[in-house]
Amino acid sequence: MSQTKLARCFAEALGIQEQAVTDELAYQTIKEWDSVRHMALVAIIEQTFNVMLDTNDIIAMSSVGKAKAILAKYGIDCDAA
Amino acid sequence: MLLKEKVAIVTGASRGIGKAIATTFAKQGAQLVITGRSSAIHEVASELSTHGERVVAMQGDLREPAHRREVVMACRKTHGRLDILVNNAGVLIHGPLGMTLLESMRDAFETNVTAAMALTQYAIRLMSPARDPCVINLASFAGTRGQEGLAIYAASKAAVVGFTLSTAKELASQRIRVNAIAPGFIETDMTQALPEAIYRTMTERIRLGRIGVPQDVANCALFLASDLASYITGQVIGVDGGLLA
Ligand SMILES: NC(=O)c1ccc[n+]([C@@H]2O[C@H](COP(=O)([O-])OP(=O)(O)OC[C@H]3O[C@@H](n4cnc5c(N)ncnc54)[C@H](OP(=O)(O)O)[C@@H]3O)[C@@H](O)[C@H]2O)c1
Repeated sequence: MSQTKLARCFAEALGIQEQAVTDELAYQTIKEWDSVRHMALVAIIEQTFNVMLDTNDIIAMSSVGKAKAILAKYGIDCDAA
Repeated sequence: MLLKEKVAIVTGASRGIGKAIATTFAKQGAQLVITGRSSAIHEVASELSTHGERVVAMQGDLREPAHRREVVMACRKTHGRLDILVNNAGVLIHGPLGMTLLESMRDAFETNVTAAMALTQYAIRLMSPARDPCVINLASFAGTRGQEGLAIYAASKAAVVGFTLSTAKELASQRIRVNAIAPGFIETDMTQALPEAIYRTMTERIRLGRIGVPQDVANCALFLASDLASYITGQVIGVDGGLLA
């Protein structure tokens, strides 16, 4: 996947391989992506991209693809990052 | 120095208890983001900077969701992390229940409760389990025991207690300690604004024979924020001179 920075965030927060991070990877479809890790993921994404996400967006961030779309709203192009 | 290299946010630090907490933290080596509605917050920031630590002032109204976010974002930008959040900003609504406007009720809850909850939501994302992070909420004796003439204020502070106890449990897995301080009767603009009769009755009920000063509360906040309290979470500590004893 080209959004390496974002993939690294997912891999680190969820404790999974970067190769496993695809746009289709969705919340609660793997045991590693539960509600506790979701908040850890948010923290790492915020740290990496220097943003503060709205709670609406945290709830809506239900897949890697959605995360990219949400970050785009904050002016972050994950494909370029 | 009990707070060397710690980063703290203290809300409502332009005067009263919040200012005393911010000053105490700065003297103990903490770097700070302080907030207040009035421009006095900038003067407090310059005063505190003389202690040698970095202090950022954020002027704004915590009833505004955007401001809450800006405060935590400023902390991220300036310090890159957060170790201590003190939810101190608060308003007192007094008067008979039947004569309290809905607008005042909303105001009290927005400032005393919602702002603290929302700030905590943002703040915990900047906290690292390895640094003994903590949240300190300002409750009140009114919220734990009730007080006539202060029903709305007491209800909002009881909500702060519930929030403290619940988040202490929920955030313990992230090693974030959450405690509340329940001051009794402390000499600040807030208590000065109370009617003479309430003021007199309250002071007469203080067993230690004197009204509290903001430093009494700041000392407790310092203890809770420091590593000395690293095994303390989910507590509501009264600082009231025996008001309730
Ligand atoms: N004093 C007591 O006896 C007592 C007893 C029990 C609990 N408490 C609690 O302790 C805390 C501090 O009380 P205090 O006596 O120091 O009060 P205070 O002297 O009235 O100061 C209140 C502080 O909160 C800030 N604030 C109020 N509304 C705000 C808003 N909407 N947005 C941002 N900041 C806001 C004020 O900022 P500006 O000045 O810039 O407006 C000020 O810095 C409060 O939570 C209070 O409920 C106090």
